[in-house]
Amino acid sequence: MLATMGLITGTAAGGAALAAAPGAEALAGAGGVAGVSVSAHGAPLAVLAIALLPLLGAALCALTAPLRLGGKLPAWITVGGLAAAFGLTVLMHSGVSGLAAGEALVAHGYEWIAFQSGAGPGDRFVAPFGFYLDSLTSLWMLFVTGLGCLIALYASEYMEHDVGLGYARFFVAFNLFVFSMACLVMADNLLLLFLGWEGVGLCSYLLIGYFYKKPEAVAAAKKAFIVNRVGDFGLLLGILTIFGVFGTVEYAALFPKLAAGRDALGEPLAAWVGWVVPLLLVCGAFGKSAQLFFYVWLPDAMEGPTPVSALIHAATMVTAGVYLIARMFPAFTLDEQQWVLGLVAASGAVTALWSATIAMAQHDIKRIMGYSTISQLGYMFAGLGVLTTTGAAFHVFTHAFFKATLFLCCGAVMHGFAGQLDLRRLSGVWWVKGWGIIGAAMLVGCLNLAGFPFTAGFFSKDTILAQAFVTPGAAWVGWVLLLTAGLTAYYTFRVFFRVFVGPVEYHPGQDDHGHQGDDGHAHSSQHGHAGGHGHASGQFHPHAPRWAINSVVGALAVLSIAAAATYFVYPQEHGWVGKMVGHSTAAFAAPGEHHSGAHADPHSDAHSTDLRSNGAAHAAALGTFLGFDPHAVMYYVSALVGAVGIGVAYLLHGAGRRTAATAGADGLLRNPLVALVHRGAHRKWYVDEVYHALITLPLWVLGHVLHLVDRLLVDGLVNAVGAAPKLTGGRLRVQQSGVLNGYAVAMAGGIALVVLLVVFMTN
Amino acid sequence: MLLWLILIPLIGAGLVPVVAKPYVRTVAYAATAGPLALALYILGSYSFAAGAPEALTRVARWAPDLGLTLRLSMDGVSAALVALTAFLGPLCVLGSKTAVTERVRTFYGWFLVLQAAMTGVFLARDVVLFYVFFEFTLVPMFILIALFGSANRRAASVKFFLYTFTGSVLSLAGLLSLAWYHAAVLPPGSTPNAGTWSLALSDLALAGRAMPANLQGWVFLALMAGFAVKVPLFPLHTWLPLAHTEAPTVGSVVLAGVLLKLGTYAIYTLVIPLVPDAAVAFAPAVGVLSVLGILAAGLMCWVQTDVKRLVAYSSVAHLGFCMLGMFAFNRSGLQGSLLYMINHGLSTPALFFCIGMIYERYHTRSMDELGGLGSRMPAWSSFMVFFTMASVGLPGLNGFVGEFLTVKGAFEAGALPGHDGPRGGMTGGVLGPWFAAWAVAGMIVAAVYLLYMLGRVVWGTYHAPSEHGGPHAAPHSASHGQAHGHGHGHGPDEPAGGAHTGLPTDLSGREVRVLVPLAALCLLLGVYPAPLLNMFADSVDTTASLMQGALRRAEQVRPEAPEAGAAAQPQSAGAGDGAAGSGAEVDAGEGEGVEGRR
Repeated sequence: MLATMGLITGTAAGGAALAAAPGAEALAGAGGVAGVSVSAHGAPLAVLAIALLPLLGAALCALTAPLRLGGKLPAWITVGGLAAAFGLTVLMHSGVSGLAAGEALVAHGYEWIAFQSGAGPGDRFVAPFGFYLDSLTSLWMLFVTGLGCLIALYASEYMEHDVGLGYARFFVAFNLFVFSMACLVMADNLLLLFLGWEGVGLCSYLLIGYFYKKPEAVAAAKKAFIVNRVGDFGLLLGILTIFGVFGTVEYAALFPKLAAGRDALGEPLAAWVGWVVPLLLVCGAFGKSAQLFFYVWLPDAMEGPTPVSALIHAATMVTAGVYLIARMFPAFTLDEQQWVLGLVAASGAVTALWSATIAMAQHDIKRIMGYSTISQLGYMFAGLGVLTTTGAAFHVFTHAFFKATLFLCCGAVMHGFAGQLDLRRLSGVWWVKGWGIIGAAMLVGCLNLAGFPFTAGFFSKDTILAQAFVTPGAAWVGWVLLLTAGLTAYYTFRVFFRVFVGPVEYHPGQDDHGHQGDDGHAHSSQHGHAGGHGHASGQFHPHAPRWAINSVVGALAVLSIAAAATYFVYPQEHGWVGKMVGHSTAAFAAPGEHHSGAHADPHSDAHSTDLRSNGAAHAAALGTFLGFDPHAVMYYVSALVGAVGIGVAYLLHGAGRRTAATAGADGLLRNPLVALVHRGAHRKWYVDEVYHALITLPLWVLGHVLHLVDRLLVDGLVNAVGAAPKLTGGRLRVQQSGVLNGYAVAMAGGIALVVLLVVFMTN
Repeated sequence: MLLWLILIPLIGAGLVPVVAKPYVRTVAYAATAGPLALALYILGSYSFAAGAPEALTRVARWAPDLGLTLRLSMDGVSAALVALTAFLGPLCVLGSKTAVTERVRTFYGWFLVLQAAMTGVFLARDVVLFYVFFEFTLVPMFILIALFGSANRRAASVKFFLYTFTGSVLSLAGLLSLAWYHAAVLPPGSTPNAGTWSLALSDLALAGRAMPANLQGWVFLALMAGFAVKVPLFPLHTWLPLAHTEAPTVGSVVLAGVLLKLGTYAIYTLVIPLVPDAAVAFAPAVGVLSVLGILAAGLMCWVQTDVKRLVAYSSVAHLGFCMLGMFAFNRSGLQGSLLYMINHGLSTPALFFCIGMIYERYHTRSMDELGGLGSRMPAWSSFMVFFTMASVGLPGLNGFVGEFLTVKGAFEAGALPGHDGPRGGMTGGVLGPWFAAWAVAGMIVAAVYLLYMLGRVVWGTYHAPSEHGGPHAAPHSASHGQAHGHGHGHGPDEPAGGAHTGLPTDLSGREVRVLVPLAALCLLLGVYPAPLLNMFADSVDTTASLMQGALRRAEQVRPEAPEAGAAAQPQSAGAGDGAAGSGAEVDAGEGEGVEGRR
């Protein structure tokens, strides 16, 4: 470990003490000059390889298609490449974890976009292809490459029906995704982050639309890309504003300026910077992380192959918004009022509740998981908003594991039951032969998601909940999140009780893996499945998962339990994740983290990069939970709420259920009021329809109107002018000779006119 | 050496009518590969970091009394554009192998003339030479469209000619006015050659800058009349969709790749240096039109059913970015604008090539009739997605760099309240964050229409016209052995297209060879734009310094005006529209106000 650290620190441009502006300035200078020269040393090259290995993997996978290299070669290339990348990330992590709080390593590759942007000698715009490595980077990269590798292994089996068809295409996009995500997370400047940001969007587009013969998949892919672009609108303008104010997009130069509250000229910042910049960045974060007003793309993204849903749309890409806010947290605390963070908290809480209600009324288990992802992302945003970056990052970390587990279990079901995802058409899957590991893993995942005591999800959710009650003025956020926790437990175990336990009954889906093309049907018939309406009979044999799927799902289930253990190491710093976050720019000494027995917090002085947070002032008005210290009682409260949710789910969907299609809940739906609410939630509160009517349709009509104007009015005028010479020279070859006569006249006339005009004006 | 860049294609054009028919294409290859080799040699052996190298300047005195000298020169900007022209040449010859089988001599002859004329425009440093070459691009293009276009080619070619010719007549008038001013009005001695007839750019630039503001304004309008049509600047774009749609593939490629750049290049090398003060005065108006073009053309793309027309409209939107960056007058904007010319000259021609390959197979461009080619033509689809992403401005591909820099330039060409520092950040100017915001909104629209196109053409279930009718269809029923084939057409699983066009279902090796160089450059310039940025740096530096001076002059005029009384400090006038959200309209009003006051 020490050796690696030495390698990296010895060769990179050096560490930046963020609290000490002069030191970091020096680093910025060194980094700017360093250019390509750093690559001469070994270690930074190795760091760049974390991103470049997947890129190489993408290129190799792309080559297998024209070379007709059959079999699962693309999968093995991917798994190998990502395993190597993960290994390098672990080495990088051990190097980074030796840094003092607030320090970072910068490894410059080359100058991607660099030019003289002003008249002065120092006015250079530089956006390097370089990496900024601190503990936050390291935390994210560990699960991006680790999960990427595991899920690629899972996909090698899951996608096997497409070997020779879209198999290579899938893994090209998969590799490209990891590359883009690595750029996003490890970038040492905002423009490279933007490259990764858009790159993951592209890969998301390609992978959601993987089953491109399905119109829904194509539409969903398009929707995802466009909604994300709307978010990117804000992010790009935010980057431009940051450059306009601070004169740099490189973190190493930017963070000292942010910390000092000074612009490019060393002047104090204008008040608007404190809210305009965060607001623009938040716009990007909301798009990528599917928060309120932007979330509509994520449920539809479930059209993609399930490994994609697990990796991109649950574990990694959608947490990029959390990463962005955490990374740029110093910009969010510039403002005294921090009302943008208030907005983030409010929107997070509302998103969490909103999508939980929708999840309760869906029948497609993968969509339920999709909505639950939105809801959990809402928790993370609420955590950021109430200033517990640690809680948010911890929830990102635990969520990555347990949500990937849940998705991969759903995927295994989908894989085995010919695409069946309707919870009314499946029951008792755990009891089917060969499904033991999947069932057990599903239980682990559900317990985590429901916040069952002593699971990882329990601890991470609890951190956010408690902080919400502590933060003055955010108690309502806490109550909303607490309510959502109950709903989450309910809808999670609704799936579990309906699909995985109970009487064994299954109906195969209409297709295989969402394939509606010829290939899919051919495959189904190969399984002896005729027509897709056979009852659980000899006709249809579920396709039990084999080693790749079983081992990956099992490993993830174990990891999602083990993630809880990270909470107990480094207790002084809120666990391992807390230590990682605390040592990065996301560090924030949240009010209240100083108090509470369980969360003794002596570290705030050590790395308080935030010069504005006035802990003492806030401490006076710290919130409580019904008069108790939230940190002390939240364990019990959230455990109770979770248990109630699970209990209700058991009563309505588990107890005494005899068939897959019916459950105790059906009785409730006979109540017209409940039925009305259920209908609204089932139809996703008609948000898509409203968007279509308010945004899409008017713009589309406007497009038609403009096109009409273009063709009739503007073009018509030109045609009328063009017709004049045609009429004068009206003969057979009218088109050419007539027009050319006209030109001669027009030319002479035009020249005369302008020359006369100029002469006249001069005299 | 520069002369050879123009002469080689011309010699080729001279040879084409006389060589035996099988060798026509060989001659065309040679006559396009020659300039390419020469251009590569020039790029490799000269540095453009300090302006046009001495060795690459050629002056021939022809009729000195009339100021008629021939000046050719090559700086970084012209070098890049000449290289782009030369690069597209052989690809066009290669790409048209199966599309052009009749009247081969006419086609390649005029194509080579076109190449020579376009190269000439980029090399000319002399108004007359420039204008002659500029006009002479019209004739070959007219013929290529009129003889080799599709159904509605007559109307398209006539409209193309009419539109651009009328405009350029006005441009000529503007140039002549400048020359006249230089010869007749400027007091001798005020500039080196004042009082004599000169048509050198350098002389006319001094004359233009000495002109009173209102006169500069008229000259600006006259010059722009021709060049803005060529760009095309919204709303002067209506010739473009028709011309593109009806032109043969190679015509569209050259039209989008190089011909449109003649307009932006002319504005960059003629309009801005010749009448800088007027350019500043009109910049807000041009900015508004650019942004309108980005948004309106984008929305119009979205409602097209003809895929070629869609890409044609997208050019209008793209060139809006180019103009916006240019009229930001700062280094970011100018660099971005120049990069955009090159980048658009790679990705859009590539899309036209792709569409041409489809048209050769299916004889339709309608997205209602044709779609879902992903399952039928995976290689073609991969290229199509790649180039669409370049066009959409995905970071890592070439389109993004130019787009980002133009938007960045527009953003910085204003002021942020309290932060208009000269270092790094804001540069000041007459555009500003609101222009940038609308342009970025245009990037959303770009995603909308381009993904709409992909969704219909590449993704979805395969469908193609049941009958390969149309005027160009080969007599295919015989080759299929179906006497009654017209009614039945192809079943969905039958490999369409191939049998009667001699083309494979997916791309042939030749077609891959056309697309791969384009894709490679798109990727290379996306991840490493430094060579181009360095080539442009000197020219951009000159122009930016000039324009910053013009901007300062404009700032000084402003307080004298009665309306601007409230904005006593010139800086705060700019600051107001950044913060208060008064937006583009206010800026435009300001610009016109300045103009009116003079």
